[in-house]
Amino acid sequence: MLIPCPHCGTRPVEEFTFLGDAAPTRPTTNDPSTMEAWYEYVYLRNNPRGAIEEYAHHSGGCRSWLVVSRNTETHEVFGAVPARDFTRAKGAKA
Amino acid sequence: MPETAHMTERTFNRVSPLQDVALQGRFGADKGAVGVTFTVRHPMSIITVIARAGQGAATAAALKGHDAQWAGPDQYFVLAENRGEGALYRELKAKLSGLASVSDQSHGRVIIRLVGPRARAVLAKGTPVDLHPDAFPLGKSALTQMAHVGVHLTRVGADSYDVSVFRGFSESFWEWITEQAEEFGYQVI
Ligand SMILES: [Zn+2]
Repeated sequence: MLIPCPHCGTRPVEEFTFLGDAAPTRPTTNDPSTMEAWYEYVYLRNNPRGAIEEYAHHSGGCRSWLVVSRNTETHEVFGAVPARDFTRAKGAKA
Repeated sequence: MPETAHMTERTFNRVSPLQDVALQGRFGADKGAVGVTFTVRHPMSIITVIARAGQGAATAAALKGHDAQWAGPDQYFVLAENRGEGALYRELKAKLSGLASVSDQSHGRVIIRLVGPRARAVLAKGTPVDLHPDAFPLGKSALTQMAHVGVHLTRVGADSYDVSVFRGFSESFWEWITEQAEEFGYQVI
């Protein structure tokens, strides 16, 4: 798989470390009332077949956090953006 | 201890980690012209500059006139030869106050220079980065891996490249890269 790093250009997947699904939103407090949300965030992850947006660290390159959109079934890669841009866009939508 | 002992500025001779490894001479294929000439650039001032949020353009502008190599988004290695211990660091720290974080990596990295008609061929054995001049012109830098070692690679001339690696990896990296150059014949100066 080739990942189009927005900072470095196209690089092989070996240069990246994947963290997982970028869709779940991390709760922002430790308030006991959010324990259910924390439980869901930490443990109840989907394992989608098909399209996914995933955190990836360009650990063997520019050391930037990215969000890579790809297809888990076909291994197609559609693009990659800086994780901060992804998160800001998600915040703007919410 | 006499009072003056505290005031004496102690100086240390900086020793390259490759001092006893990068032996001078000609090696590998011994017919015809050498394909690659290696030198260890030492001692160097190597400063990491990381722009603060929103200060990328201002940081880049402030680095005009310095040998500043791209090292990630809004990040640079600033290099200099023949500056005193800590001098470039202090200069940039003052100049970039409020714009960027600055740290001195001079002792932490080793820069190996490859010059010659086969320099590109040697590097291409180790990296997926496209080194064709159209894609990797003079002054361009890339962060990548060679032989499992993280490297910072810069084109410094038509057939010249600088490869910067962490000090602790420099010996094994040197062994690897000189081995790749054996088929072309190489010299170390
Ligand atoms: Zn990158």
